[in-house]
Amino acid sequence: MKRKRLTRILVEGTDEFVESLVEEAVSEYDITIDKDPEKSLVMLKNSDSVSNQPFYSGEVLVTECSVTVEGSSGFGVVMGERPDKAFAIAVIDAIFNADLPPADRWKTRLLEEEEKIDQKHYKEAAMAARTKVNFDTMEGYDDQDD
Amino acid sequence: MGYVAVTGGQEAIEQADNLSLFYRTRNVSTLLNPEMIENQMRLLVDRVMGEGGLYAPEYAAIALKQAEGDPLEAVFLMRAYRSTLTRNYYSHTIDTGDMRVIRRISASFKDIPGGQMLGPTNDYTHRLLQFSLREENERELQNFVEDYGFTEYVEGEITFPKVADLLREQGLIANHDNHEEKEEPFDLTRNKLTYPSTRSARLQALARGETGALTSFAYSSMRGFGVVHPTVGELRVGYAAVTIPYPFSEDEEDGMYIGEVLLTEVETINSFSQNDDNNDVQFSVGYGLTMGQNEVKGIAMSILDRSLETSGEAPAQDEEFVLSHIDSVESYGFVSHLKLPHYITFQSKLDRIRQAQDHKSSNEGEEDYAGTK
Repeated sequence: MKRKRLTRILVEGTDEFVESLVEEAVSEYDITIDKDPEKSLVMLKNSDSVSNQPFYSGEVLVTECSVTVEGSSGFGVVMGERPDKAFAIAVIDAIFNADLPPADRWKTRLLEEEEKIDQKHYKEAAMAARTKVNFDTMEGYDDQDD
Repeated sequence: MGYVAVTGGQEAIEQADNLSLFYRTRNVSTLLNPEMIENQMRLLVDRVMGEGGLYAPEYAAIALKQAEGDPLEAVFLMRAYRSTLTRNYYSHTIDTGDMRVIRRISASFKDIPGGQMLGPTNDYTHRLLQFSLREENERELQNFVEDYGFTEYVEGEITFPKVADLLREQGLIANHDNHEEKEEPFDLTRNKLTYPSTRSARLQALARGETGALTSFAYSSMRGFGVVHPTVGELRVGYAAVTIPYPFSEDEEDGMYIGEVLLTEVETINSFSQNDDNNDVQFSVGYGLTMGQNEVKGIAMSILDRSLETSGEAPAQDEEFVLSHIDSVESYGFVSHLKLPHYITFQSKLDRIRQAQDHKSSNEGEEDYAGTK
C-alpha cells in the first residue's frame, strides 16, 4: 500500500480504529519517541488557473511526531492539534517501514476503514447532489402569454 | 522625529483586563464554548482563518471568543500565534480539480458538465430575520440532522471538471504551457513585498487580504473606477486533499496525506483580447482562492487579480495601492496605534501651532502699523 493511501486512511479514519492498531503495536514492540508530538506549520501551495504557476495560499496547523520501532523510523503528521493521532500515525508508519508482521495483518482492516471513509464522502456528495439545479432562461416567456 | 516611549500604568492595564472580562461575562447564562463558534459560526471562522493565513478552525474559534467577536482582532491573534510556530514543511501543489465539491455554480453557462449544485448557500433565500432562532429545539435539530443525513450509499460523482479547463480545450482562453518550468513562489511571510511584484506574491497577498477591503476595491472597479466587470465562470467550494513530501524519503512524490482543507475557488471570465502568442481572440480570466467558504472574497480576489493585470489610473489598477491596503493586520494595527500615547508628537504640534500663532499676531501688528488704522 502506497504511503499516501495508508496515511489517508489513518488521518481520515476514526480515532478508535487508529488507536486499536497502535495498542497492538505497543504491546508487541518497544517504541522510542524521537520527537514528541508538537505543533508546527505546513505552507499550502496552490496553482492558479491563469498562469498555471504555484503560489502560497496560507499555512495550516499540524501536529507532527517521530518514533523508532525495531530500528526503523516512523513519522506522523496530521492537521490540527491532535497529538495522539500524530503519534499513532508515526508508529504505524514505522511498522510499515520495517515491514513488520502487523503491516500485513492489518491490511484487511485498513481496507475496511478506507471503505467507510469513502462511504462517508459519497454520502456527503449525495447530500450536495440534492441541490443540483437547472436554471432555464425566460426568453420568450412574455410571448407565451400572448 | 523619532518615537518616545511611555512608562507606567501597569496596575491600570491589569484592571482594564479584569474589566474587559467582567463586561464579557457579567450577563452570561451559558458560557460560550469555542466548539459552538467553530460549528455554528463557520463562515466567520472561515473568514478569520483566511485573513489570518492560518487554517486552524479550532484556534480561529478561540481567537473569536477572546476577541469578543471582533474579526480584525481575532485575525491579529491568529497571526501572532502563527508567528510562534516553526514551519517545517511545504505541501505538494494542491489540485483543486480533484476537490470533493459541495457547491459549484456558474453564472456564465447554465449547463456545465456534471451540473450546477447550489450547495450550502443563502443566495436564494429571503433576507427575513428568523425570530424562531430564539427558540431552536436541540432535539428537533438532531432529528433533522439525522433525517437529512440519511442517504443511500450510492457511488456517485465527487469531483468535477473545471469550467476554465473546458473553455481552454475549446481555445476560448489561453492554454497553459504544461512543460513550462514551475517558478518558486514568492513568500511574503518571509520577504518584504516590493513593487512591481510577482504574480505569486500578488495572489498570496490577495488570498490573505481582508474581506471587506477586497470587496470594496473590487466594487470600485465594477462601479466605474476601473475596467473589470466579469461574469463568474465557476465558483466552487469543496474539500481539497493536502499532501507533503515524506521527510525520510528522497523521492519528492512519496507523499504523506495530512488532511483536507475547505477552499473556495473562483474563476471569472472577463472581456476578450488578442493573445500575443498566437493572435487568437480569447477571454481573459481572473482567479480567486480563499480558505473555507468565503465566496464574496473569492470573487473580489478574482476581479482584483484581473484588474491588476490592466493598466490605467483607477485605484483598483494600482498594484501598490491595492496590495498595501488590503492586509487587515497592517491596516487595523496602524489605525489602532493612534489610540496609544503620542504625547511628545502632539506636544511638538502644540509648540508649532503656538509659534505660528505668535508669528501671525506679531505680523498682524506690523500690518496694522503699516495700514495706520
